[in-house]
Amino acid sequence: MNSALAQVLERSDIRRGDAFAVAPAPTLASGFARLDAELPGGGWPRGALTELLTEHEGIGELDLLLPALAALTATGQTVVLIAPPHAAHAPAWATAGIRLDCLRLVFPRRPRDALWAAVEALRCGGVAATLCWLDELFRGQLPANSLRRLQVAAGEGGGAAFCLRPAQLAAAASPAPLRLQLQAAGRQLRVSLLKRRGPPARQAILLDIRRPAEFPPGFHHAVAGTVLPDAADSRRRIRVAV
Amino acid sequence: MSLAPAALRLEISGSLRLFGGLPALLRLVREDLAAMEFRAQLAVAATPLAALWLARSGDNVIARDLAATRAALAAVPLTALQLAPPLARRIEGFGLRRIGELLALPRASLGARLGKVFVIDLARALGEIPDPQTCFVFPERFEQGLELPAPVDAAPVLLFAARRLIAALAGWLAARNSAVREIECLIDHGHGRVTALPLAFSAPVCRAERIERVLKERLDALKLSAPALALRLCARQAEPREARNHALFDGGGQRQEALAELIDRLAARLGPQAVQGLACHADHRPELASRARPAAPGEAIQPAPQPALRPGTALPPRPLWLLDPPEALREVQGRPQRDGALALAAGPERIESGWWDGVDARRDYFIAIDSAGRWLWIFRDPRPPGGWFLHGWFA
Repeated sequence: MNSALAQVLERSDIRRGDAFAVAPAPTLASGFARLDAELPGGGWPRGALTELLTEHEGIGELDLLLPALAALTATGQTVVLIAPPHAAHAPAWATAGIRLDCLRLVFPRRPRDALWAAVEALRCGGVAATLCWLDELFRGQLPANSLRRLQVAAGEGGGAAFCLRPAQLAAAASPAPLRLQLQAAGRQLRVSLLKRRGPPARQAILLDIRRPAEFPPGFHHAVAGTVLPDAADSRRRIRVAV
Repeated sequence: MSLAPAALRLEISGSLRLFGGLPALLRLVREDLAAMEFRAQLAVAATPLAALWLARSGDNVIARDLAATRAALAAVPLTALQLAPPLARRIEGFGLRRIGELLALPRASLGARLGKVFVIDLARALGEIPDPQTCFVFPERFEQGLELPAPVDAAPVLLFAARRLIAALAGWLAARNSAVREIECLIDHGHGRVTALPLAFSAPVCRAERIERVLKERLDALKLSAPALALRLCARQAEPREARNHALFDGGGQRQEALAELIDRLAARLGPQAVQGLACHADHRPELASRARPAAPGEAIQPAPQPALRPGTALPPRPLWLLDPPEALREVQGRPQRDGALALAAGPERIESGWWDGVDARRDYFIAIDSAGRWLWIFRDPRPPGGWFLHGWFA
């Protein structure tokens, strides 16, 4: 099959007669019923850029995406992370349901390379979802024309495309058809839809994301030859664990 | 197929129907030769030797059967036979110019005067006796070079020249129904200086376009130390091409192929270390529990090994992001600080390991929440000098 045809067949909006049962849905269920109800098409868009604006990292911005990503990797589809901000801790991703053999991480060093890698990944029909963290490489703000390139590339590739960006860019213009602002709210995540195709969202929604569960204090595990915490240690811990 | 000095002989009678007849086949041969920039004279004859002689004497002589071959040979000058000089001089001494004049003489006397070998050749050319050929066997490794018409300063320009070599390599691979994982492109700067550009592929490749795209990324990123004078492409260790059965009902095969191509291109431009897969590693120390793995798709799926735990216990929560190295935190009145005091949500979890390999770790981990609602994974080192560290984010 020639490559042009193969590319066309990989698009989300092309359905092959012989592939009805597994034709990709136009959107990707987020795994949160309340969010799906607010998203046009009932889920994360494919073939279009989605911006997730967070004031801080560590508030559950990835937990918001993980159910959808886990569903993709469960069927053997590939998820690519472009310029992730930290080292991925494999056991945590595996516990979240991500099939690690379906995950690829790309570490570009120069801004130009990062944008190129993101565009290539978005355009690639073999990638079901791309997550990118580009603003830091571009000194805090990815130029608007670069965002447009990403949006066009996402349209060509047909996969889900998530740009994780700092919240101070919420006021900046963006070609992304879906923009969400995320805020911490205890064990929940407050999601405001800044922009969507359709009527503007009235109010923010609160989602029960997966936050670290409690575990019995004093949980101790290690391998053979470990020493139990000594008494002085325990006293100190009691003091700090208040 | 067999090779003769400066000539290539193809047995085509078995292939005529496949290629849609003789004119179509000849046109294909001519196009391919033109693509490789070879100038050639084509001839078709009923015997290999006759075809060789006809091709040497002129272009586009076509003799489909023995009678036509005999007729066509009659006009061929004896110089086309490229005989050994003594023999050629002797024949010239007879006043003979063309094969036709030679054939008019009695064969028995020819044998006596010009030698038995020559007469046997003649009989082979005329199809009177069989003329088995040794088949050409493709070399086990591919190596082909090319002199550039002018010194080239810009690496991307080399791609144009490399196309010809890549086309030859693709042909070589197609003939063997094989594929390669590694190709070496050597750029010769003269004076014995050579830049080696190894191309590695995540999956065996055989298509010229794919090789070309990966080479393009490498060349785009390359700064030539000196003008390039010549180019060479080497491929060792061709492996049999994988039998591919595209699934009928999903695009899985195409997706995998597209992904493999993407990874090759990313690795070619960003470096092989910049594209990674991820795997769990059985180690209690969090910083050692992740391993990079080759990004090539289609690797066997290994079950992720989990650190051995006491039965009946689940691994306490682990953060998605890990900081390397851990960030030291201030401590005020025994409580860790980061933009204000951190609230400890869960813990401690003691992780103690590695005393045997010198990277000893003994830490008490807590899950903490800061004033902005971020979830942190922090630990306290119980050994002096102690202190609090931020080790990960529950992103």
